[in-house]
Amino acid sequence: MNAADRSTPALELKNITKRFGRVTALEDVNLTAYSGEILAIVGDNGAGKSTLIKAISGVHHQDDGQILVDDQLVSLSSPADARAAGIATVFQDLALVECLDVSTNMFLGQFPRRGWFVDRQRMDTESRRFLDELKVTVADVHTQIGMLSGGQRQIISIARAVRSGAHTILLDEPTAALGVRETRHAADIISNLRDSGKAVICVSHDMEFVFTTADRILVLRLGKVAGVREVSATTREEIIGLITGTKQEAA
Amino acid sequence: MTISPESPADRGPENTVPKNTVTSAAWGWVVRQAQSRAQLAGLAGVLLVLIIVFQIGNPIFLSSGNIMEMLRATTLYFIVACPMTLILVSGGIDFSAGALFATGGVTAGLLMVLGIPWPVAVIIGMAVGGALGVVNAWLSVRLRVPPLIATLGMFFTASGIITVITGGNSIYGFPKAFTDLGQGFLLGIPFLVYYAVVIGVVFWILLEKTSLGYDARAVGGNRAAASANGIRVGRHDFIVYGLAGAVAALAGIMGAARLSSANPAAGGTALTFQVVTAVIIGGTSLFGGIGSIGGSALGALLFAVINNGLVIINVNSLWQNIFVGVILVSAVAIDQARRRRQFSSRR
Ligand SMILES: Nc1ncnc2c1ncn2[C@@H]1O[C@H](COP(=O)(O)OP(=O)(O)OP(=O)(O)O)[C@@H](O)[C@H]1O
Ligand SMILES: [Mg+2]
Repeated sequence: MNAADRSTPALELKNITKRFGRVTALEDVNLTAYSGEILAIVGDNGAGKSTLIKAISGVHHQDDGQILVDDQLVSLSSPADARAAGIATVFQDLALVECLDVSTNMFLGQFPRRGWFVDRQRMDTESRRFLDELKVTVADVHTQIGMLSGGQRQIISIARAVRSGAHTILLDEPTAALGVRETRHAADIISNLRDSGKAVICVSHDMEFVFTTADRILVLRLGKVAGVREVSATTREEIIGLITGTKQEAA
Repeated sequence: MTISPESPADRGPENTVPKNTVTSAAWGWVVRQAQSRAQLAGLAGVLLVLIIVFQIGNPIFLSSGNIMEMLRATTLYFIVACPMTLILVSGGIDFSAGALFATGGVTAGLLMVLGIPWPVAVIIGMAVGGALGVVNAWLSVRLRVPPLIATLGMFFTASGIITVITGGNSIYGFPKAFTDLGQGFLLGIPFLVYYAVVIGVVFWILLEKTSLGYDARAVGGNRAAASANGIRVGRHDFIVYGLAGAVAALAGIMGAARLSSANPAAGGTALTFQVVTAVIIGGTSLFGGIGSIGGSALGALLFAVINNGLVIINVNSLWQNIFVGVILVSAVAIDQARRRRQFSSRR
């Protein structure tokens, strides 16, 4: 299952620290993500998972530490920078613009152009094609996002990250709003990303999902890395122990 | 699986879809069209009724001379309303428009009186307006002063500066080539109307067809999401406020050409409020994301029709404000109802 190329990390974080006033949301976090691999990030509420995702996607700038993409040091001071560095994100809370339709949302920040104009036709046909490829059932790409259910929105955010063609894909609780069937669907999409050689980082609370989909698991606890495990070499009990702190990292 | 009624070409052979999805998609399309047109249709209806009433009251109302007069009275407001629409769609507001209007006229006027060739004076006047618009954006993007306050502050500051510089007096003595631009006719239609049409078309294209317009709807619809998805929202603000300043100044310059004088008190709060009101009556949401240039054109026209019509049928024009007030509040109530229906029901 694990065909990851571990020679060069697609993304590497070194000693990332992020504070919000007196709260230290992330402290000395190290993380390595490889192409063709799914890295799951787990941890309790408030452990710093979303903050970590936002630091990688340029929403937050770290107070300390370095981010490397393909072994190159990068400065991600805005989401546009992260996009340019080949990082696409499915956010937990900042997903879509409700008053715009599905295809416009699929292309936010990357509208296709023909000369001076946005190529609406191409936007519609490509959105349609992508959604069909991913087997996402949306009757009409002109539907406003505000008219869709939470689960439909979630799937569309995922589809959008896939569409962006980015090399590294970050997902923050992609299955939180999804039913059983849709969760399996999202897992398929995410596995396909891995199989096509993308580096995938996925935050989730859903252990079932993590253990069936991910290759490695990074546990965050109180803003620090409590441990990193290969899925094939760990158990749920161990991961839960790391999350709750009943099991301490030996090293 | 897809059926979007307006593009049957999308229908691939593999896309077999349950019947109910087809109909619900088609129905969704019908509902959307109706919703997006409803407020405009309502406004057009109000305009039509007013026109009929005024025409019955006095047949002069629809004479070509009077129609020209109404169009000309609409033009400057409409020109300022175009960038105002873009700003409101982007989720902002510009209360400095009336002052930047006067600043444009006064700047170009002073330069012409000093002997600077009029085309140079016009360009510098617009540049000053654009620069002040950029200051508006800087205040809100960098210093985080809400646009309402930043632009209101700009309104007073800019008005104050030009009043001090001119001593509150109008500036006269422009070259004829310049004043002709504001007073000439072509085929019986004032030049000003042509300028307004050109600017209207340019802004319609900007809003509907370019990535600036798409960005505007995204930034106004959900600023945080737009930013998180890679739209440079700060840069967007600099562009739209800068553009708005330059266009407001240009309108002020045209006004100066039309009157052969530039007055530091031109535009002012009256123009600012009328423009914002026209844009909102035209269906542009005060909360961003939604709006159209066509709506703003109708909104601006409504003012001219009410103002002119009341005079023509011998009703005291003081009634104008009552009409406008009622229509404004109705427009916003409709917008609110529309937002509630569309965005909150599924949350
Ligand atoms: N913008 C912010 N300003 C101030 N504090 C913040 C901000 N964002 C996060 N925090 C704080 O940082 C800590 C980590 O939050 P974060 O959202 O990263 O947690 P999380 O692991 O994603 O939790 P959840 O499972 O609930 O999504 C929390 O203590 C939170 O209060
Ligand atoms: Mg979170």
